[in-house]
Amino acid sequence: MNTSQDSDIPASSSQPLLLDVKDLHVHLRIGNQIVRAVDGISLEVRHGECVGIVGESGSGKSTTARAITKLMPNVSLARFSGDLRFDGLDLLAMADRDLRRLRKDSGFSMIFQDPLGYLNPTQRIGKQIGEAVSRDGGLSREQSVWSLLDEVGLPDARNLVRRYPHELSGGMRQRVMIAIALASRPKLLFADEPTTALDATVQLQVLQTLYRVQRERNMAVVIITHDLGVVAELCDRVYVMHSGKVIETAATQDLFARPRHAYSARLIDLSTHLNPTERYA
Amino acid sequence: MTAPLLSLRGIEQTYSRRNASGWGSTTVRAVDGVDLDVFEGETLAVVGESGSGKSTLAKLLLMLNSPTNGKAFFKGEELGSLRGPLQREFRRDVQAVFQDPASSLNPRMTVETALRFIVKRHALRSVSDTRRFLAECLTRVGLNPPERYLDRYPHELSGGQQQRVAIARAMMIAPKVIVADEPLSSLDVSVQAQILDLMRDLRRSTNVGFVVISHDLGAMQSISDRTAVMYRGRIVEIGDDIYARPKHPYTKLLLDARLTADPTRGRIRSMAPAPSIPPLATTPEGCRFRPRCDYAVALCETADPILRPMHSGQTQVACHRAEDLLRLFEIPGGGKRAPSTGDGLTA
Repeated sequence: MNTSQDSDIPASSSQPLLLDVKDLHVHLRIGNQIVRAVDGISLEVRHGECVGIVGESGSGKSTTARAITKLMPNVSLARFSGDLRFDGLDLLAMADRDLRRLRKDSGFSMIFQDPLGYLNPTQRIGKQIGEAVSRDGGLSREQSVWSLLDEVGLPDARNLVRRYPHELSGGMRQRVMIAIALASRPKLLFADEPTTALDATVQLQVLQTLYRVQRERNMAVVIITHDLGVVAELCDRVYVMHSGKVIETAATQDLFARPRHAYSARLIDLSTHLNPTERYA
Repeated sequence: MTAPLLSLRGIEQTYSRRNASGWGSTTVRAVDGVDLDVFEGETLAVVGESGSGKSTLAKLLLMLNSPTNGKAFFKGEELGSLRGPLQREFRRDVQAVFQDPASSLNPRMTVETALRFIVKRHALRSVSDTRRFLAECLTRVGLNPPERYLDRYPHELSGGQQQRVAIARAMMIAPKVIVADEPLSSLDVSVQAQILDLMRDLRRSTNVGFVVISHDLGAMQSISDRTAVMYRGRIVEIGDDIYARPKHPYTKLLLDARLTADPTRGRIRSMAPAPSIPPLATTPEGCRFRPRCDYAVALCETADPILRPMHSGQTQVACHRAEDLLRLFEIPGGGKRAPSTGDGLTA
């Protein structure tokens, strides 16, 4: 952790931002009310950095990620404004076609809490990963799928590609989701509550995989979570969200050592209270 | 010691499932020979990973499933043969709270309608007195002022409020024990802390007992008197100090898998890759935990360890090497339990 910070921070000031969000507003029309789900937030992500967005349900953390990736089907928007720049490109002004290209090749990817909801139940795993592979000369599609499965810690790829999602455990499904997300060689991966539905022991393995992949590919990762434990383990920097606003942003160690906002302090306090032994360990 | 309120003896529950190919079926032993006593007024936590059989155990305690093998007793009487008054007493004394409060409340009934139903069914109060009684029940679970909640529908309440209504409903008929299956896992951390506080308050004021099924060891440590750790359908360790002094390697594994809100430790960054978990249907010879155990010896391959008492304390462990491992697992500076009063949790 120390080493990564020491090397990242001086370099990053000169480096252009990978993701630069300024004054993002997402107001949703629900019935005859307007919900200010995201209400003027700014955030920055640098190349190869792991950033956490924490908050409780309803804080707007998932809406933020969906707004940035422009994955917002079936919502009625009352307001969607701000400045969204990814790798120098203006995402808001971008045509849908270009956006699709960005998702398909070297742009951004997303993984979600419940992989079963995002995998096609009627298709074999191999086909679903293969569809997402962006061709890169060298490897055949089949070989790419195998190497992706290997990369996310699923051995025995030849057998696995013939399986259907329901035949896999929750942890394996989430790894398959990560493999699909990686298939397009993204520069930025959004992970929305990636391990919330998993057992603690499996959560540890999946986080471990995510961490390794992030380092090996030098890929930026944005983790959206309610669990400060996940943040403490993985993230270089954190944004704390509450009712649509970012109330605090800091390097992870600073946040835990010296939370400046009372709400952040309370979140930290609660997570240590709910894990009491750790105070003694 | 007093007689247990509920007890299970050699209880087994198997589920069979048609194979994906459509040929033949696989039998899963969800609960595979469990003995368990639940005493009045105690809070017993049951922890384990998904697939360990803890929810099936809850269903067996509630008599929502009838066991494949073995016996369940309520006040010394066998559950399956309960008839008449004693059966009604069982249904009154043993209440349930489930994981997802939204789906355990009828979306088409207001809180008042849903709760009135129970007053009527159990003839708890006269019609004229019912509304006042319902208000009392809601106040007791911290829904204050109650008039604000009585006329609402479940979807108009937050998750924490819904769970409070579910607890109020379970508490109405003054049960002896509430079996709660993952009551916290659909709630935010701050709300989890509030519900834990509520459970503590109710214990103090009414002496109701809880059997709490959970995968969250931290939360269970803060409220439980005793904890049972389940692995693949068996209780592998049960006792009152499993958090500070784990004796089974699986308990240790679960404790180690908890994420700490402490960035200076950074365990994931330094950790060796964890071994993968064998599929559910395969139960090895000997100790069922052996494939994931770092401490297995030759004996573990042949003999299936049974739950046995340790020489000190009331802990029981199903591990051949429990005595050797005890010293190894001791958590430095441990042995203290977290304050059970929940000070500062609802700040």
